[in-house]
Amino acid sequence: MRTATKHATKSPATQTINLVTAVNQALDLALGRDKQVMLLGEDIGRNGGVFRATDGLWKKYGDERVVDTPLAEIGIMGAAIGLAVNGMKPVAEIQFDGFMPAVFDQVVCHLGRIRSRSRGRLSVPLVLRAPHGGLIHAPEHHSESPEAYFCHTPGIKVVIPSTPYDAKGLLLAAIEDPDPVVFFEPKLLYRSAKGEVPSNHYTVDIGKVRMVKEGTDITFLTWGAMTVTCEKAAERLEKEDGASVEIIDLRTLAPLDLDAILASVGKTGRCVIAHEAPNSGSWAAELSALIAERGLLRLLAPVARIGGWDIRMPLFRLEQYYIPDADRVLMAARKTLNF
Amino acid sequence: MPLKTVVTCDIKRLEILSPDGTFDKALMPKVSDELLLKMYRLMFQIRQFDERAILLQRSGRLGTYPMITGQEATQCVPPLCLKPTDWAVPTYRGGGVYFARGMQMRYALLYWAGDDRGTHFPEGSSDMMFSIPVGTHLTQVAGLAWGQKFKGKGGVALTYCGDGTSSKGDLHEALTFVGQFKLPAVYIIENNGWAISVPRSRQAASQTLAQKAWGYGVHGIQVDGNDALAVYQATTEAVARARKGEGGTLIECETYRMSHHTTADDATRYRSDKEVEAWKKKDPILRMKKFLTAKKIWDEKKEKNLAAETQSWINAEVKAYEEFPAPNPLNMFADNYAHAPQHLIEQRAELEELLKFKGGAKILMELPPTEGRFP
Repeated sequence: MRTATKHATKSPATQTINLVTAVNQALDLALGRDKQVMLLGEDIGRNGGVFRATDGLWKKYGDERVVDTPLAEIGIMGAAIGLAVNGMKPVAEIQFDGFMPAVFDQVVCHLGRIRSRSRGRLSVPLVLRAPHGGLIHAPEHHSESPEAYFCHTPGIKVVIPSTPYDAKGLLLAAIEDPDPVVFFEPKLLYRSAKGEVPSNHYTVDIGKVRMVKEGTDITFLTWGAMTVTCEKAAERLEKEDGASVEIIDLRTLAPLDLDAILASVGKTGRCVIAHEAPNSGSWAAELSALIAERGLLRLLAPVARIGGWDIRMPLFRLEQYYIPDADRVLMAARKTLNF
Repeated sequence: MPLKTVVTCDIKRLEILSPDGTFDKALMPKVSDELLLKMYRLMFQIRQFDERAILLQRSGRLGTYPMITGQEATQCVPPLCLKPTDWAVPTYRGGGVYFARGMQMRYALLYWAGDDRGTHFPEGSSDMMFSIPVGTHLTQVAGLAWGQKFKGKGGVALTYCGDGTSSKGDLHEALTFVGQFKLPAVYIIENNGWAISVPRSRQAASQTLAQKAWGYGVHGIQVDGNDALAVYQATTEAVARARKGEGGTLIECETYRMSHHTTADDATRYRSDKEVEAWKKKDPILRMKKFLTAKKIWDEKKEKNLAAETQSWINAEVKAYEEFPAPNPLNMFADNYAHAPQHLIEQRAELEELLKFKGGAKILMELPPTEGRFP
């Protein structure tokens, strides 16, 4: 007679994974830990999401908790709000950034207001996930950076990681957060960003920057896939110009970690803000204004903002001339350094 | 008081041509041989074009491309019921609609290659670009139809959406306007069974999508979307109704997306080969061929000639597409406003600086000439 021996399979403490796998792991852990967590969106079930962010979860947790919805973004957003108000912790996916404007009525008029309108009686602990940004040669409306619209809306938090470690820790924190969180995932980094990530549950604090690298002459403030572009620009600037660059990945856009931002700009006295969205009225504009309001006397040069041009995002043949590249960051940094 | 029935709604389904090429004589519309052959020719050519476009994408010569195959009747036939002054707005999968409306397909390739010059319409065209965020054009088409009404010349507007899009609020609001203002509009739901990986059954609990029409005071009919003659008949009636000022129509064309959602998708992950095989037997082109052959206006020799002619047409379009020079990056600043404002003039100059930084002072001379209006 043979007896089966049960080996406790111990998962390794850390693994090297890419950003989309980190998102997948966070969702998997959240679904496993908390019965109130459920996912809803288009093609997230059987197909595992168009970027495979939810791969395997439909099979593991079933049709009731990983829900392929009808093709209806307003329906997804409104239903997620109702579910969240009534005890669930929905994680809703909008398939592409360019499809997010459909949900604005729900976001602007309701998502961030329910807690205050109900005088604290009701809350909306949901997460709204969406891929973010360009440079993957995607069709029209698949490469947008709509973060400023959301940051402008009171009552919600806006998060965008740029490393697998942050993606997993921030997404778990977002799901556990008592307030609504809009969670952007830089699609350029889904597979290209790789890093060491703990296998188990952990969270990264929402509202805190990531210090990418320390430096003394100039601060790059950035977020999303532009973090990688800034790293490339910094490398060249240090090599070719001998300047010491500090890079801060904001990773939470709202609420801002203002202390960390002002401390860095106060130290270097020079600042370039780089991002993908059209520059006018962008979140870089808010950052620049805050730095001027609170740190003006520490500045040695005007704050430079580098973003997309104030025109619609062109089709992909020209996207590399629309979204700032390392050359543009470098040019702006040199102007700032030589001011 | 006993319960009274205040409204009964019934939805008809129109089928004329069977998959084996036989047809219902009573329902057969009066169509000239010339028009029948035109339908066949358009469907045949757009399928061949679709196949070439997929090959181009697979060999890295085209970006993400949405396949048409299987939906040729639904796309190529309704435009034949329109005048050039009517409006037609397809979905992003609607290359067949633009083709039947006279678009040069080199531009369709250019668009899917990520080049903004691909939204080039033939001279005098009334048509509009499709919407990538699905269904957002539907209320606009109600406006186009309304504009036709103001013009008072009997013009109509015809548009499309998918079965997935029929779940969006956009269709609800569009049909609300069409019904309320009796607009000369024809809405075709191109029900191809799948919204990427989500089947039609997941979109609506209603038995048909056509029955949605009743809620808005709009005519509704379901049609075998792989039956070119049924599509023709239903569209002809809908267009005539619109021209006479008798209001709009919602036509649900039941067809099938024979391929993936786009070249970026893998349909084998979520649907069975058995389902696809069953639909192959209902192919719109094959049944039309059988019908035309039985009618003795088509034969293998003509088919062979058409195939050869189609290949040289496609070769010419692909050549023309590939011969477009790379776009000048400065083009993106053109045509954003009738007159470019100051900040765009400055930003364009900044882009020129960037180009010089990248390629030296001579670069601006070496780039192809800019296109579009600026400032």
